[in-house]
Amino acid sequence: MDQVKVFLDESEIPKQWYNILADMPTPMSPPLHPGTGQPVGPDDLAPVFPMNLIEQEVSTDRWIDIPEEVLEKYLLWRPTPLYRARNFEKLLDAPVKIYYKNEGVSPPGSHKPNTAVAQAYYNKAFGVKRLSTETGAGQWGSALSMACQMFGLECRVFMVRVSYEQKPYRRLMMMTWGANCIPSPSDKTEAGRKILAEDPDSPGSLGIAISEAIEDAVMDETARYSLGSVLNHVLLHQTVNGLECQKQLEKIGVYPDVVMGCAGGGSNFAGLCLPFVRDKIHGKDISLVAAEPKSCPTMTRGPFCYDFGDTVQTTPLLAMHSLGHDFVPAPIHAGGLRYHGMAPIISHLVKEQIVEARAYDQLETFDAGVKWARTEGFISAPETNHAIAAVVEEAKRAKEEGKEKVILFNWSGHGLVDLAAYDAFLSGKLTKYELPDEEIQRSLKLIEALPKP
Amino acid sequence: MYDHLEIRCPKLGGEVTFAYCQREGGDLPCPRILACWQRHFAVETYLRRKLTQTDWDRCFNRPSKDKVSTLIELIEAAKKRRGLAD
Repeated sequence: MDQVKVFLDESEIPKQWYNILADMPTPMSPPLHPGTGQPVGPDDLAPVFPMNLIEQEVSTDRWIDIPEEVLEKYLLWRPTPLYRARNFEKLLDAPVKIYYKNEGVSPPGSHKPNTAVAQAYYNKAFGVKRLSTETGAGQWGSALSMACQMFGLECRVFMVRVSYEQKPYRRLMMMTWGANCIPSPSDKTEAGRKILAEDPDSPGSLGIAISEAIEDAVMDETARYSLGSVLNHVLLHQTVNGLECQKQLEKIGVYPDVVMGCAGGGSNFAGLCLPFVRDKIHGKDISLVAAEPKSCPTMTRGPFCYDFGDTVQTTPLLAMHSLGHDFVPAPIHAGGLRYHGMAPIISHLVKEQIVEARAYDQLETFDAGVKWARTEGFISAPETNHAIAAVVEEAKRAKEEGKEKVILFNWSGHGLVDLAAYDAFLSGKLTKYELPDEEIQRSLKLIEALPKP
Repeated sequence: MYDHLEIRCPKLGGEVTFAYCQREGGDLPCPRILACWQRHFAVETYLRRKLTQTDWDRCFNRPSKDKVSTLIELIEAAKKRRGLAD
């Protein structure tokens, strides 16, 4: 029988997190205070984060000890198994070996508790009584709810109202773990009350929910705010996964040619990939690929194309009109199209060309996810399907090149609470809407006046 | 015409309709609306007809901010509100 899973003994769980800031080949620009223009200091963040986490946020120590109390909680689901996707390999019929780290085995079903547990611990150690956060569909909110319960903290989650009403299951998970889940906008904060006064039926937004969660923390001396992605300390906590994975691969004498993960805010991708980034910086021949949602049409059909030519901290970016065959007017200003949510560490690595970003259309990702479920059995979180789509593409490339490759990716979570997304895909609701010819003609006419480059 | 169309929102992690995307920013659409919808239909054409130039600029031509800057701004705004409450 061929081996499918590689386990680590509990005693082999990594005892330290890895901090990429110690090995960055070029320095990252410090975030600047929008009011003063000076680099953001600890005091600026102190109203919402405890000082022990702020210290981690700015630390350049290569290794940071994982507290015993955090390790004890990690052991409820960690070390997570490394799998070989033999059935998916057969389906793809390409010269690739595919390995994946199964982060879906955590209680909330994703990689999120790797940092939620650590953040709850550090807040508790700092004397905080309550954590406040925002959540979209609830993946982060549920992870933090569980973590707070583990360390005896109160948890208040501002959940975007449109999700609160449409997606009861993660809300119920949060409540089961003892959190107070509030639809946002709410009457609990000034920010929420202002929105409700203007629009009592506001469906909310992530921006409003963040405003409420921050205000909630600032107004209460005993409370702090918690963020599940983007920040340096969040990515640091996630590295426990990649470090485990390196030990598992070493056990079977394998080293990957390509490491892949989906990248929304960057934390799950970073968790698997940063220890391998370190290897690359020190000379290993390895590709690191961040897969994100495509926001770009084909050049022949849609009115825009987005480029990765951005020079600052974000990923997809410049939009160029591309309607017609030779009609390419000047790029529109990219400001409003920038995605602000990507971790600065990942953006910096993309900019330095250490990490490559690839984008996948949502239909492509669900198609890959369904194929995955029908071969490997696991139903992936929709975000995870981006990584699977990247694996499919990489396997095709290997086949075309006639090159054997070992692919490793992060299976960042299951999709059992996201079946509505599969329903939308399987019932054709997400099917591409074909642009009528007359609409294309109208579009062409409208942008005729715009300058050509 | 397009309001009922559904898409998976990369910010929320759930399905939303185009109607939601148009009001995600309160009186403005979500700044990502062009990026998310342009492969489905001529969303720019549609929005240029609906929005004034001022609103278009407010929505799409704002300078971008990183997450930490956004957090700092929200902290400062909340501190001011606390000052008023005190």
